[in-house]
Amino acid sequence: MPATSAHRPPVNRDVPLVGRQPLDGPYVLLTFRHPEVAAGARPGQFVMIKANTVSDPILRRPFSVMRVDPGEGTFTLFLKIVGPGSHALAELRTGEEAGCLGPLGQPFTAPPEGHEAVFVAGGYGIAPFVLFGEELGRARRRARAFYGGRTAADLQLCDAFDGLGVPLACATDDGSFGHRGRVTEAVAAHLDTRPGPVTLYGCGPDAMLRAVARLSEKRGVPAQVSLDPWMGCGLGTCLGCVVRIRRAGEARPKYRCACTEGPVFDARDVVWP
Amino acid sequence: MRLGVELGGLRLKNPLVAASGTFGYGVEYEGILDLSLLGGIVSKGLYLESRDGCPVPRIVETPSGLLNAIGLQGVGIRAFVKDVLPRLARYDTAVIVNVCGDTVEEYAEVARIADAPGVAALEVNISCPNVKKGGIAFGGDPRMTHDVVSAVRKATRLPVIPKLSPNVADVTVFARVCEEAGADALSCTNTLLGLAIDVERRVPRLAFGTGGLSGPAIRPVALRMAWQAARAVRIPVIGIGGITSTEDALEFLVAGCRAVQVGTANFVDPGIYARILAGFESYLQRHHLESIGEVVGSLRFPDGEAPGGPGA
Repeated sequence: MPATSAHRPPVNRDVPLVGRQPLDGPYVLLTFRHPEVAAGARPGQFVMIKANTVSDPILRRPFSVMRVDPGEGTFTLFLKIVGPGSHALAELRTGEEAGCLGPLGQPFTAPPEGHEAVFVAGGYGIAPFVLFGEELGRARRRARAFYGGRTAADLQLCDAFDGLGVPLACATDDGSFGHRGRVTEAVAAHLDTRPGPVTLYGCGPDAMLRAVARLSEKRGVPAQVSLDPWMGCGLGTCLGCVVRIRRAGEARPKYRCACTEGPVFDARDVVWP
Repeated sequence: MRLGVELGGLRLKNPLVAASGTFGYGVEYEGILDLSLLGGIVSKGLYLESRDGCPVPRIVETPSGLLNAIGLQGVGIRAFVKDVLPRLARYDTAVIVNVCGDTVEEYAEVARIADAPGVAALEVNISCPNVKKGGIAFGGDPRMTHDVVSAVRKATRLPVIPKLSPNVADVTVFARVCEEAGADALSCTNTLLGLAIDVERRVPRLAFGTGGLSGPAIRPVALRMAWQAARAVRIPVIGIGGITSTEDALEFLVAGCRAVQVGTANFVDPGIYARILAGFESYLQRHHLESIGEVVGSLRFPDGEAPGGPGA
């Protein structure tokens, strides 16, 4: 696996939509042509993207890269339509363009040798783990995924790890699919089985990430979490997406840009609001 | 130089400048766009020391606009001069330092340090709405405006460009005060003071409470103020406010601004400079003009009379 520091500089392009796969409810998979993202995106990195047809809202939106196809020069996003920005993207027709900058941000760091990678995904937070799972699968590293949502309809990518040797366990708040309750309860139960050394990886709602951080602290296992604050630019210039981070040896927390110094942070360093 | 402009001793290869607070220190865009395309870059606001800025949330979108209360988080002027300036030296673009202060003395001291090789001009930030001291406290009071601009004027030989606030009743008063205090040009305008409320929780959507509104939502207001300022003083005006296209930029030039700054649009598309510059060229061709300077102040009123109102 390439060193995480070797990731490539972002490239700004108008990118045509080349594929569109509606899923159930407000979910859709969108594939765009962007050769540099396709060739360079690392698991946990994201793009800033906006349908070019839209001037309101004005800002691009950050989305984790879910899958890449370097041969085709394309990448795929897993989108939940929640507001006007995602709605406009989902309305794009094949051939229509979006403005896109990427790949951006610090990716997940591969687990230490001998560790099992444990993905903890909430809702659309599953996206970066598809790329991560494929990469670890190819490298024949051990990985396992926990996928949680409010209800079964939130778990749209249960087949994403098929054939990768990444076992998947699901959890729903209402018990409609998998474990009834929080996804982090299922993760705790897995840790109870003494699976050997693990590294936790979290992507999802803040409450879930906090639970991952608590689990990491209580069980003494390392964890990396991908934070998702409101972002303006993706390049560290608007300073809108800052999060409070206190790294080892620092006397006090500092505001750091989630877009450039994150979105992935060591869970120990995050000062939760 | 068809696109070159001159502003009170500051020569720009073209009239497109990146606005303070929307372009970091410039180096963030290295490798994403060619910084030498830009007429100039205005740094993020700089104080003597580094600053943490406001708590979060700091930004929220509103219709065609962006409301922010960042609070001038930054590295401080010494770190900028030491670490950033050398990196910007390799680009053919004017580096303009945005000077901030809590006191008149701090503005002057920052200006003295900013007067370093590689810096082309100083923009004086007397209009940030998101700090408790300095900022708009200076830019909203003609006397304080005069004191700050005079102090910066005395501290440097570089062109001094106060950045005016739109949050005043009559911008021409402040434009004239700055001119009298020795300003070489004016930047017009900063963000409009705004408020957005989360009605479910009944709290402001920004942690600071109020914020500064930018983006296309404020363009007509900013354009009107830049037009008024340009008519009120002899020194050149740099127009700022919601520019996202060639046509938007031309509006400010026609209104009398000799250059423009692109702000919020930097967040949306770093390709905007190449796009606007190409648009300038085709506009000049289409209108059979030799240089962009011929566009400046070419606004005509069909009746021959400018409309009334403050400063008109």
